[in-house]
Amino acid sequence: MATMQSTPISPSAGRWIPSTCGMCLHGCGIKVQVVDGVAVKIEGDPTNPDNLGKLCPKGNSGLARLYDPTRVLYPMKRTNPKKGLHEKPGWVQIGWEEAYEIVARELGKLRKDDPRKLLCAIGDFQRILLWGWPAVFGSPNFFTSLGNYCGGSYHPVNGSVDGSFAAINDYEHCNYWIQIGSGDGFSSHLHLSGSAKRMADARMRGMRVVSLDPRCSVASAKADEWIPILPGTDRAFVLGMAHVLVHELRRYDREFLRERTNAPYLVKADGYFLRDSEGKAQVWDLRVNAARAWDAVPSESMALEGAFSHAGMNVRTGFQVWMDILLENTPEKMSEVTTVPAATIRRIAREFVDAAQIGASIEIQGKTYPYRPAALNYYRGSQSHANGLFDNITYKLFNMLVGNIDVPGGHLGVPLDHRGFFVSPGEDGMLKPEPHQLHPAPEFKYPPDSTHLLEWFPIGFDAGQLNAETVLNPERFGLNYRPEAMLLYHSNPWWNMPETDKIEKIFQSMKFVVAIDIQETESTQWADVFLPDRTFLESTLLNCLEPPAVTGHALRQPVVEPLGDTRDAYEILTELAERMGFRDDWNDFLNIVCGYTAKPKYLLDPDKRHTVDEFWDRYARSIYGEDKGLEWFKVHGHAVRYRTPEETYLPFGNLRIPFYFEFIKRTGEQMRVRLSEAGMKDWPLDNYQPLPFWKNSQVIEDGKAGYEYYGITFKESLHTFADTMVMPWLSEVSDKDPIHGGILINSATAGKLGIKTGDRLRLTSPAGSIEGAAQVVEGIHPQVLGVSNTITRQVVNNKRVRAKGSHFNRLLTGSMRYTDSATGGLESTARVRVERLGA
Amino acid sequence: MPIAKIAALGSTRKMLGFSRQTLEFEGATIADLLRQLPTRDGGSLYDSLVCDGKLRSDFAIVVDGLSLKAGELDKELRGGEEIVTLAIIRSLAGG
Repeated sequence: MATMQSTPISPSAGRWIPSTCGMCLHGCGIKVQVVDGVAVKIEGDPTNPDNLGKLCPKGNSGLARLYDPTRVLYPMKRTNPKKGLHEKPGWVQIGWEEAYEIVARELGKLRKDDPRKLLCAIGDFQRILLWGWPAVFGSPNFFTSLGNYCGGSYHPVNGSVDGSFAAINDYEHCNYWIQIGSGDGFSSHLHLSGSAKRMADARMRGMRVVSLDPRCSVASAKADEWIPILPGTDRAFVLGMAHVLVHELRRYDREFLRERTNAPYLVKADGYFLRDSEGKAQVWDLRVNAARAWDAVPSESMALEGAFSHAGMNVRTGFQVWMDILLENTPEKMSEVTTVPAATIRRIAREFVDAAQIGASIEIQGKTYPYRPAALNYYRGSQSHANGLFDNITYKLFNMLVGNIDVPGGHLGVPLDHRGFFVSPGEDGMLKPEPHQLHPAPEFKYPPDSTHLLEWFPIGFDAGQLNAETVLNPERFGLNYRPEAMLLYHSNPWWNMPETDKIEKIFQSMKFVVAIDIQETESTQWADVFLPDRTFLESTLLNCLEPPAVTGHALRQPVVEPLGDTRDAYEILTELAERMGFRDDWNDFLNIVCGYTAKPKYLLDPDKRHTVDEFWDRYARSIYGEDKGLEWFKVHGHAVRYRTPEETYLPFGNLRIPFYFEFIKRTGEQMRVRLSEAGMKDWPLDNYQPLPFWKNSQVIEDGKAGYEYYGITFKESLHTFADTMVMPWLSEVSDKDPIHGGILINSATAGKLGIKTGDRLRLTSPAGSIEGAAQVVEGIHPQVLGVSNTITRQVVNNKRVRAKGSHFNRLLTGSMRYTDSATGGLESTARVRVERLGA
Repeated sequence: MPIAKIAALGSTRKMLGFSRQTLEFEGATIADLLRQLPTRDGGSLYDSLVCDGKLRSDFAIVVDGLSLKAGELDKELRGGEEIVTLAIIRSLAGG
């Protein structure tokens, strides 16, 4: 029998080319060993301070994407007129000319008719500059839940608090880290490889980690303490802790709240600030016992707590309003919601405030800052819920109670990119809220233009899940057209959207679908034309996206000749724009998103076609200067450096950050008037509140309808989105871990229901049902069933990877009842019934 | 007379019929300049971009890298400024 032998390749063979990873959205620095034109090894780039030479499993397996035998390497057109998830498209290879001609003809016709009829799903995060192509085409539509699934409420709140896009605790100085529903530093979110190293270093110096999660996640397993909690109730736990700090211990950072927030501003009974005749917000001046303008009273003389009488009106400070709300949130009551013992809520609150060292300061590089080495960090699991706005604001306010926002040891904003925090003065001495950082704030419109009702979420994100409702019933939402075509660009909406059955119906209703991607997916099963993009090892761009500790760009560059006959996505989109007659507008759009309006010498010529290299060379020079164009980056790899203390701490300077979110309440009132005038009187607006409180979400209410358990999904560092699950290396590793093989069920619950590992289970939610094999474990809350994202793929072309079963998103609902009415954030937990189908 | 370097993007380019131009203008303010930029429909760029004396919310003007606020049309120009006019695109495929 013939055997294959591999010969070890010396690390000194060939050459090592610096580049960046493209296996998730973040882009760690890598170096790729290339021998005789073949990429043979990927390692982390030790010169890049972002990932410090580390690389996660996805990055290490990048070669498997480049050389994946199932990759699409040539343009293809469909021959099978029948479409469906399991219908083979009958692809035949065609040339680029024919492919472009078909796409430009079909989309061109649509554009002349009504460009809004194009649905667009884009998920190429590292080429975020290209995301505006649909808008230039004329379509406002966003047919994916990709960003909203995790950050629908998270990003708007970060932008509103300190002009950041994301947030993370201070790895370098934090001593007590509460982690809620997040894999930061352990398995996911911001630049995992470097974050894992930073987390490990912090643990080595003694930082304590307490993890709240329904499941014993990687973070929970490695934490000092895991606190199992019911999904979607994390806010109740934190409200309980806030109650302890404010009402029981009476320990909070009064100086921070008075000086750096609007907590002392006086609030009238109608929920708005008390203002003087000039419109200035008022505070209570303790020196004279009277209301005065905020800028006429030194912070130390402002009342932080209290109710007062002014001109016959009762007013309270914003802080007092929340104190009064918190009266109800006793640990005992919050324990009933969360299942976490009241004593645990009290203990963690006390440990947290003890560790925060309120009043302490630290000198860093000659400058003194407040020092608060305790912080609460959170992400998807704790706030991708129908009340996600409340969740996010609660976590921010809890951090504010100890004055740890953007100070050493505390909870730090993470800017979207190299431009840093979006800081500009707003009203009343406040930072101007920036809930939208990926595009300008949408203006209200009725009838709306967009199928995800962008115009109805002025402080929200992009509620892609609403497509499941609107596209099938456009008239109900005032939409005066029906989408007819779809552009898929590195996005798999069949996979990432809730309500899979409805999404399939939408795919089925499309007259034309074009896909730009590397590999086939569930969504490309409906494509008429497939335009193959290049992988991250064959293409060029400058990478910079949410780096938690550093700033600057790193170059992605081709390390090998492109395989097959593929084209860079920039080139594909530019060619299509040219053929449809809007390349000039496309160039002008790129001028805006690249920031060239502020640097006109770099403006792209609307009448010229710019190559990929020209485009990125110009972008590099516009940021780093004439001597640091593409050629400089090809040699040096990156221009990434640590953010300075000035760039990291107190980015808002002397501006105050919101504690009382009056602008959210005001926005809600404006929406109420506009929607009412438009005849949409029943549109929910109940989450436009200035302060968070506890209220049951629809998911909790569903429990009363017989859905006894909670269903959650989870991922780990092996996977990002859907693409990696069909890669043999990663799939094989996942397969070896039983938690990725089935539906996780707690041993006590399994015992009660007579379920053993391997039994076939059906989970049924109000939206749908899925089936899978039971995996009995200790590490999950007894009322929770966990479904790994690794078993969700249905279209798997690689014979070395098994299709494993069910898709969690079938259990989720995309309607407004399961959507945050202010942010558009979706509900990522489902209530379920469990049935044992057999052994 | 002061000189301004104009770059017109998107729909403002189509209104004006050019993408880049250096021109002399009479007066001293942005508003003066906009009034002297004829558009293809026979009006001026001022007529298209300004409503009730304020810059319309769906347009932006950037002067030497700084965005003009809606009420700053009377901002005086020294001469030699680089001015970019553009229409705001509000939908951007989310994230």
